Amino acid sequence: MANKQQIPEVETYIDHEAGIIREVKQPKLHSKKGRERRANRAIYITLTIISIIWLAPFVFLVLQSFRSYLTEDGGMVNYLIPKAFSLDNYRYLFEDGQYLKWYSNTLIIALFCSVLQTGMVLSVSYALSRMRFKGRRLFMNIILILGMFPGFLTMIALYFLLKQFGLTQEGAIPGLILIYVASSGMGYYISKGFFDTIPKSLDESARIDGATRFYVFRRIIMPLSKPIVIYTIMMGFMAPWGDYVFASYVAFGKSDSYNVAVGLYRWVNTMDFQGYFTRFCAGGVLVAIPITILFFMLQRYYVEGVTGGAVKG
Amino acid sequence: MASVSLQHIKKIYDNKVVAVQDFNLEIADKEFVVFVGPSGCGKSTTLRMIAGLEDISEGTLKIGDRVVNDVEPKDRDIAMVFQNYALYPHITVYENLAFSLRIRRIKQEEVHRRVVQAAHILGIEEYLDRKPRALSGGQRQRVAIGRAIVREPAVFLIAEPLSHLDAKLRNQMRAEIILLRRRLDTTFVYVTHDQTEAMTLGDRIVIMKDGFIQQVGTPQEVFEKPVNLFVAGFIGSPQMNIFNADLIKEQQGRYTVVVQDLRLPIDADKCALMADRGVGSQAVKLGVRPEHAQIHFDNAPDTLEGTLAVNEMMGSEYHLHVITKDEQTIILRTPTVDLSEKQRASLKAGNKLRFSFPSKVIQLFDPKSEQSLLYS
Repeated sequence: MANKQQIPEVETYIDHEAGIIREVKQPKLHSKKGRERRANRAIYITLTIISIIWLAPFVFLVLQSFRSYLTEDGGMVNYLIPKAFSLDNYRYLFEDGQYLKWYSNTLIIALFCSVLQTGMVLSVSYALSRMRFKGRRLFMNIILILGMFPGFLTMIALYFLLKQFGLTQEGAIPGLILIYVASSGMGYYISKGFFDTIPKSLDESARIDGATRFYVFRRIIMPLSKPIVIYTIMMGFMAPWGDYVFASYVAFGKSDSYNVAVGLYRWVNTMDFQGYFTRFCAGGVLVAIPITILFFMLQRYYVEGVTGGAVKG
Repeated sequence: MASVSLQHIKKIYDNKVVAVQDFNLEIADKEFVVFVGPSGCGKSTTLRMIAGLEDISEGTLKIGDRVVNDVEPKDRDIAMVFQNYALYPHITVYENLAFSLRIRRIKQEEVHRRVVQAAHILGIEEYLDRKPRALSGGQRQRVAIGRAIVREPAVFLIAEPLSHLDAKLRNQMRAEIILLRRRLDTTFVYVTHDQTEAMTLGDRIVIMKDGFIQQVGTPQEVFEKPVNLFVAGFIGSPQMNIFNADLIKEQQGRYTVVVQDLRLPIDADKCALMADRGVGSQAVKLGVRPEHAQIHFDNAPDTLEGTLAVNEMMGSEYHLHVITKDEQTIILRTPTVDLSEKQRASLKAGNKLRFSFPSKVIQLFDPKSEQSLLYS
């Protein structure tokens, strides 16, 4: 070790511009190693604590969902692990038509939204990234400012508008799809940032080759933007999947039009709180499953999408 | 194959920046024209206007006999090679080459024939099923050119194709472009900021600065008869040396130029040129190319004296940076083979040095207008 300190390892490289050989300055190794190890240990401990805090509610939820409401207790209890493992709650969810209806409502809304919203967001982003037209800057600034107001400020106005068209209560599902999709073009920022990183000369070259704008978009930009497309689809799916605020007031009073979040909340809120709690938990677990699967499958793209867009926002 | 005609072409950007001013040029069928100039001179903008990627603010652009100002790029019968290659990264080299043909719905056999032929010309047959990122810079460059070849366009537009390559590859590709040009035998418009490329490739060179054409001519013309100081300095490497001098008009249309201690009678044909233009006695800028100066190791009369500041050994020749009496730095090139050991040894920094130049190689410029007094 002592030797190493006296003769520090020197890496060299050839500086072609200057035509000389330069040294790469090496930091002293061992003191850094120790410091790094200590820092790592602190980071891992912190991360472990955070993940425990994060996971605890979910573990709690899963455990509760396996406690039978028939033989044990359907409400809140003062112990965590159920005395007997049972699938009664899940059986109830599948046998009682209501939950399945809510679930399918949510699924329909989320699927429609993710498809329509992806189309909207990507088109807006492409136009703003690639085309130069009058008022482009202004348009982007207005959207930026509008985006600063929370969506539910428009709640009352939207409700009356939807009511005029018969898109509340019975018509809540198309109504909700409309609400979610209508403003979705405003979320163009990340995908526009991503498109901006794709060289414009690709478009130009394709245009000289005879491609239309749409052809360029479909055949060149889309395949190169896989991460951001997947990110957009996921966001389009997840937002309506877990929405409560809009869903609750647009579908108000018509339980067939509820989505899962609203329906489940009604169970514990307005119905028998003590009786429905474990079934509420089971419902929650089922809601989490598709999202979790989606996330695990597309995790790689999700990260690429978020960070890729951030390079040039 | 087609001629290209640019008449009073002007480009004004939305932010009122004028990129190209009154550009007039007739490019003949099968001609190889090079636009050259420093960055921001408008050469790329002009090329993009020919391609149809930029709108033309004023003027008329014709390809063949057709005015194409408002014709879409795809309908102009041109192909363009981009500076950054613009290869589609997600598809194979084969598909990159076939891309434009597929859009035009050309039959599969014909697509295959053209792709294979282009690949053969460029020697990239073995890379056809690779993606662009698995290729080296030179190979990507070939694919980019190949993509233009398969189109069989009337006009070939090339934007700074060699600037991303290292020096060795650049020389090689330059030679290949010359061969390619011979093989394709079509009209080429080539943009570069490198005067060597311009000189070696072009039938004619268009030298631009600040949106204006400075001079149009064959490589020989722009080298030997630069019309102004800018062209004189831009073409040739190292740069032309410029001295402050005085021009004296004598009897019978003879002229003499005085540089420091050197009195140089000007030869007859140059005198005639100046006499025709009515040039009188005046202060001038005198230009001499580094390779035209002669070094004297004895105390010859009619020579200039300077102090050697730096001696760059380039192998076959020395580049001598010399500080003259009036504190100007000039560069002299001298071949090494002609020098004896003793002479070489005397070329040390700090030593005095004598040099001269024959009058037939000099250029004369007006110091105010910077225009040549000899050529226009």
